[in-house]
Amino acid sequence: MENLVYYFYHPTILVGFTVGILSLLAISFQKDDLHALILTDVVDCAMLLIIAGVGTDLAEALILPGLVVSLAELLAVSEVLITKKYLKSKKPKPRRYKLFEEFKLPLHTGELKYNVEMEVLKTSPKFLAIVLIIYGAVLSGFTGGAVIATGLLFYALSQRVIGVNISEEIKALWEGMSGLSGVAWALWVFGFLGFFIFPDKWLLCLLMAGLGLVIKVGSKLGLIGYIGEVK
Amino acid sequence: MIETISGFPFGIVPFGDIVFGFSEFSIIGFITAIIFTIIVYLTKPEKQLEAEKFRIEDKLEVVTLKELKIRRMMAIICGIATAGAMLTCDLFDFALFLTLVGIANIGIVSAVKKEWVLNASYQYGLIAMISTLPLFGSAGMILAKTGTLSLFELSKTQISLLFEKIIFAAGMAGETGIAPFYAAKAEMFRAPGSPYILMIHLSSLLLIVRTVEILLTI
Repeated sequence: MENLVYYFYHPTILVGFTVGILSLLAISFQKDDLHALILTDVVDCAMLLIIAGVGTDLAEALILPGLVVSLAELLAVSEVLITKKYLKSKKPKPRRYKLFEEFKLPLHTGELKYNVEMEVLKTSPKFLAIVLIIYGAVLSGFTGGAVIATGLLFYALSQRVIGVNISEEIKALWEGMSGLSGVAWALWVFGFLGFFIFPDKWLLCLLMAGLGLVIKVGSKLGLIGYIGEVK
Repeated sequence: MIETISGFPFGIVPFGDIVFGFSEFSIIGFITAIIFTIIVYLTKPEKQLEAEKFRIEDKLEVVTLKELKIRRMMAIICGIATAGAMLTCDLFDFALFLTLVGIANIGIVSAVKKEWVLNASYQYGLIAMISTLPLFGSAGMILAKTGTLSLFELSKTQISLLFEKIIFAAGMAGETGIAPFYAAKAEMFRAPGSPYILMIHLSSLLLIVRTVEILLTI
């Protein structure tokens, strides 16, 4: 029995195709536009599964473009869907949507119904953000940058949720950090070049590249939270 | 006879793994795509006059400046992606260009604020997303079977790639929106704004021809 499966293809490939065909079946039953779109994303995941089934280094390098392409298509189609729904609802006055608006607590009004006075709502975001930023700085490199950015984003979004504006000093600091990212990028490039030009000083170059990348990725991704606050 | 379909090879651009190659076939497609991109950049969009049935007033459809800017940009991206797809000699790279053209096609019509156009574009987008599975899946399976994605190496191999080729062709048909999936795309063409809509048509036409060439050579 096992030989029969292996005779056609590796089981991973078969699983990928099965997931794809089952999702197609589900899409054909689906009448709701949004559900069909989400199910279509499952087909993209099956595509990644098939590429991953090749199982070599090259396949690993091919997954990333595949993922990016499928995400780009998902974004484009969802944007079309949003515009379509908006045209259908025929609102007289167009309303501007803010970034990450759905993270506000009550989805319909965007305001807290009751006046919640809880100390933990104000203190815990700062604490968690600082913990994440320190942990990211220790990690360094691309992963550390992503962790730092998560901390910054978490802080910005939580301030939005409890309805408090971010203070001007933090905004200025934030802007300064994003200004630093260009310098950090140069640091990363020089560190990376150093690997090839001075292979003896690899530790220094590694630290330079890691430090540059952590500042760059952290500030660039954290900018998303900053953009949301700028009027 | 089939070996010579791509014509005399003029040379390659060795960019590491992904090699761009110039042959008689690909140069013609490349130049056509570039010329049409320049035409799209230079021309103004058409104005449609919609005749109303049983009524006096006719409606003049004008593409507004804001709409024009985004559509022109997407049309130029579509043209550049088509030109790249003509030259590339890497199967996965070609699949990526195909998908990029699909995204750009959605982008060209998505700026039109008409519900039926958006509806058609949404349906086309779903098909384009689904067809990434056969497209990239067949590229992955060809890589697994032969160990290479370069078209020069693939043309030398003796392994039968019939199933993969069929799947690749199916993926291309979905991504460019030809015959079985044409219903959604035909509605998209009726949107006002001529040169941009023509770009959708031209890109899918060139990509079909190029896919046929690739499937015959490998």
